[in-house]
Amino acid sequence: MRWVDAARARLRLLLFREEVEQRMDEEFRFHLDMETERLVREAGVDRREARRRARAAFGGVEAHKDAVRDGRGGWVWLSGLRRDVRDGLRSLARRPAFTTVAVLSLALGIGANTAIFSLVNAVILRGSPVERPEEVVNLYLHQASFEFGTLSYPDFEDVRDGTAEVFSDIAASHFVPLTIDRGEGRGVGLAPAEAVTGSYFPMLGIEAAVGRTLLPSDDVARGGHPVVMLDHRYWRSAFAGDPDVVGREMRVGGRAYTVIGVGPPDFAGTVRGLAPTFYVPFMMAEELNGFPLFDVRGHTALFVKARLRPGVTLPQAEASVGAVAAQLTRDRIANWDPAGQFALLPLTDVLLFPPMDVFIRAAAWLLMVVVGLVLLLACTNLASFLLARALDRCKEVAVHLALGASRGSLVRRLLTETTLLSLLAGGAGVGLAVWLLHLLATADLPLPTPVTLDLGLDGNVLGFTFGVSVAAGALLGLVPALQSTRPDVAGALRSENAGGGQPGQLRWRNALVVTQLTISLVLLVGAGLFLRSFQRVQSVDPGFGREPTALMTFLTPATRFTPDEARVHTRRLLDRFRTLPGVEAVGAISNLHLNPLSQSSSDFNVDGFEPPTDHGAFIADRVEVEPGFFAAAGIGIVRGRNFNDADRPDTRPVVIVSEAMARRFWTDGDAVGRLVRRRDEDSPWLVVGVASDAKVRQLGESPRDMIYLPYSQRFTPSLTVVARTSLDPERTALALLAAGRELDPDLRVLETKTMDRHLALMRLPQQLSAFVLSAFGVLALALAAVGLYGVVGYGVARRTREIGIRKALGADGPRVVRLLVAGGLKLVLIGGALGLALALVATRLLGGLLFEVDALDPLTFVGVPLVLGAAALLAAWLPARRASRVSPVVALRTD
Amino acid sequence: MARRLEDLRGSLDLVILKTLSLAPMHGWGIGQRIRQMSSGVLDINQGSLYPALQRLEKQGLIGSDWGTTGNNRRARYYRLTPSGRRALGEEIDSWQRFAEGLGAVLRST
Repeated sequence: MRWVDAARARLRLLLFREEVEQRMDEEFRFHLDMETERLVREAGVDRREARRRARAAFGGVEAHKDAVRDGRGGWVWLSGLRRDVRDGLRSLARRPAFTTVAVLSLALGIGANTAIFSLVNAVILRGSPVERPEEVVNLYLHQASFEFGTLSYPDFEDVRDGTAEVFSDIAASHFVPLTIDRGEGRGVGLAPAEAVTGSYFPMLGIEAAVGRTLLPSDDVARGGHPVVMLDHRYWRSAFAGDPDVVGREMRVGGRAYTVIGVGPPDFAGTVRGLAPTFYVPFMMAEELNGFPLFDVRGHTALFVKARLRPGVTLPQAEASVGAVAAQLTRDRIANWDPAGQFALLPLTDVLLFPPMDVFIRAAAWLLMVVVGLVLLLACTNLASFLLARALDRCKEVAVHLALGASRGSLVRRLLTETTLLSLLAGGAGVGLAVWLLHLLATADLPLPTPVTLDLGLDGNVLGFTFGVSVAAGALLGLVPALQSTRPDVAGALRSENAGGGQPGQLRWRNALVVTQLTISLVLLVGAGLFLRSFQRVQSVDPGFGREPTALMTFLTPATRFTPDEARVHTRRLLDRFRTLPGVEAVGAISNLHLNPLSQSSSDFNVDGFEPPTDHGAFIADRVEVEPGFFAAAGIGIVRGRNFNDADRPDTRPVVIVSEAMARRFWTDGDAVGRLVRRRDEDSPWLVVGVASDAKVRQLGESPRDMIYLPYSQRFTPSLTVVARTSLDPERTALALLAAGRELDPDLRVLETKTMDRHLALMRLPQQLSAFVLSAFGVLALALAAVGLYGVVGYGVARRTREIGIRKALGADGPRVVRLLVAGGLKLVLIGGALGLALALVATRLLGGLLFEVDALDPLTFVGVPLVLGAAALLAAWLPARRASRVSPVVALRTD
Repeated sequence: MARRLEDLRGSLDLVILKTLSLAPMHGWGIGQRIRQMSSGVLDINQGSLYPALQRLEKQGLIGSDWGTTGNNRRARYYRLTPSGRRALGEEIDSWQRFAEGLGAVLRST
């Protein structure tokens, strides 16, 4: 095999280079010896003369060696690369201080990029483990009040039965609020478990890692299938990955469930970041969450997915579900919104939830851009430094070029060195990223459920980091390399200065510093806007919960209590809580304001107001409260009365409305005694009181229409206890839990937390943005300042002789400093102007992410340039001051 | 007049392969052999033999091993590989066609 022979020869040349060189010497020596002996023998000359003639006939030994080396061809660049790498490593090792600083600053940039990319990868890029995901669609209930609503179980049944010709399979899932103890003294937190229909896993094409998945046969009789399938991670953490887990029992919601299997490692539910701990058959959902679910059209809580039959297009499927909705409207089904529609979205288009995806994508790309800029800053700093060094070596390089070294090989050597640098930094950066992600994963964020993202370093992430490192290395090395090897050999050799110093080359460094200043100004303006945003969001008065308050959410499941029994039970609990030390006021509410996960609303009409044409009714937020709530939450009854024991199921239905609603519908402002009409029920609500406004859905909202119903008349199985306390609310929350369990050992507590933590969730986006952007902004400012310091310092070093002359001619220190600082200041002004212009454009994109702060916030746009200017002045002044201390005698002797 | 073999591209390689087809040989020996066989008409710059050997080895047409000469010196012996032998046959054919063609052109009046 010819290519085998050839490859072997090449490989030997490559691997045994020194040996090959040695052999070549030996071979040539042998040749010369043989020729010498032949000449002595045949031509009869003496040995010295024969030697001379043999050499002459052979020609230049080195030239032939080169020809032999070139003859290796093809792979010669590889052995050249080996040499370059070795030289590069030596060169880096010779300057440990520079190498350390360079690697560290690049590692900061690369590490930040890797960490952010890991997040983006986990949230956006990573593919779905679902089989043929392009065939799967998400189904939402599209209503006037909410575009991407969940379905009720009767809705699901109707869609399932009416779409058999377009969907090969359809499945529903429903989050079941189960709880886990967070650990000693940390209360109870929500653990998402999912109730799924039997078709769920077969439809998605998910196979069990151990045992089997839930199947249609596990989902037949209501409450009749106490079996559970574990999430892979939960199996690893709670069962230590026990391979014999199938058949074991675990307690779920107070009942023994049998484990039937474990999910595969790459499947963590279909909502990114919210991995269920385990799955139970849908037929167990009603029993577990305590709500009536199967027969109530209005209780929408199901996420529905379906697989399109082969060949069926999305519009065909949309027509089919549209027909189901139209039929429901025609049949005037109770609790079906006549304006309701079913909307389909391909699974692959959904990350988490369509309304949130917009923000997730925006935040992800914003972060990528920001960390990219930080890396660019780190690169420009080093490039600037390398450029200075390359210019200082201009003469040396010119000598190399004059002696015939090719420009390409010199550029390659410099590039190899910087690429090595950035690869080292890439390695350190991966370490940094792992640490940052660990910090993030263990950070105690005030999220309602634990977020589980697989932030592991997969091929995507490592490939990204490698690519970024190589790109950074090329970026770093290319400009200095090209600049210093510009083939103006004669000019460089002639140049008097030790440091080259052609004006065009200095311009490069200046341009880099201007770029840095521009970028850091843009980042700092962004950070400033988000800091202002956070400041604003913190100063918002939510209208409730201003004082230290503990919260505890619990259930009175319908499987244990009738509504009347549940009310008695709740009253006993609240009375017990009122006696706890430090507790000043106790109340309960079905769903505390500013809960982003769950909102309830009611349709209503008011006499004298034309119903809105699209929906046929006004919509108000609605909660059920127990009378103690208002005092405990700090919401005042500004008119009329609070609910009391006289409001019973058999008495007239009463409501309390928000001030905003009272002002809107009863112009005299006095709503007390007026009627609020309901759509489907005959007896209207009588307004007995008006409550002060509070934020309901978002901190930024203007006051909303809100209806409070008495718990005594309108039952709800889920209640949040609100306990205002004079002690540490953390401790009070634990005291509530302990007291509740003492009174009722089977009490189903979903969550304990403080009011501060509840409110912190709403401020989290602003808080995180402000924190992250500030961190990067400060990093950018520091890098830019170092860059400017370097440029001015370099200028000082180059102009030492000029400074000496100026001083010898009588210039005083301050004048020299002014001269040097002015040079740096010019760069600051140009960079500042460019940065401001860019920021004006860029911040427009931020508009939607800011909270009540104008994207052109004057304070930010004035304050940030001032900070940047001050930092830049300092960075320029420090080296300049050093130059002014130069003694003219010493300076003139330099060079 | 002794012609320089490397003047005609490809001819040096061909002659080396032909020489090695008789017996494995070291570099100096190849040079001597070519001179003898051509009765001194073909001469080569002795040093340029080695890049050519290198090239042929890279192409997999010849191989090399270290051996000892009659007077007990270590030398590098080159030998023809099977693919080299095939290539030699093809090259001889094409060279003869070329030489005939060239001769026909030069003979024409």
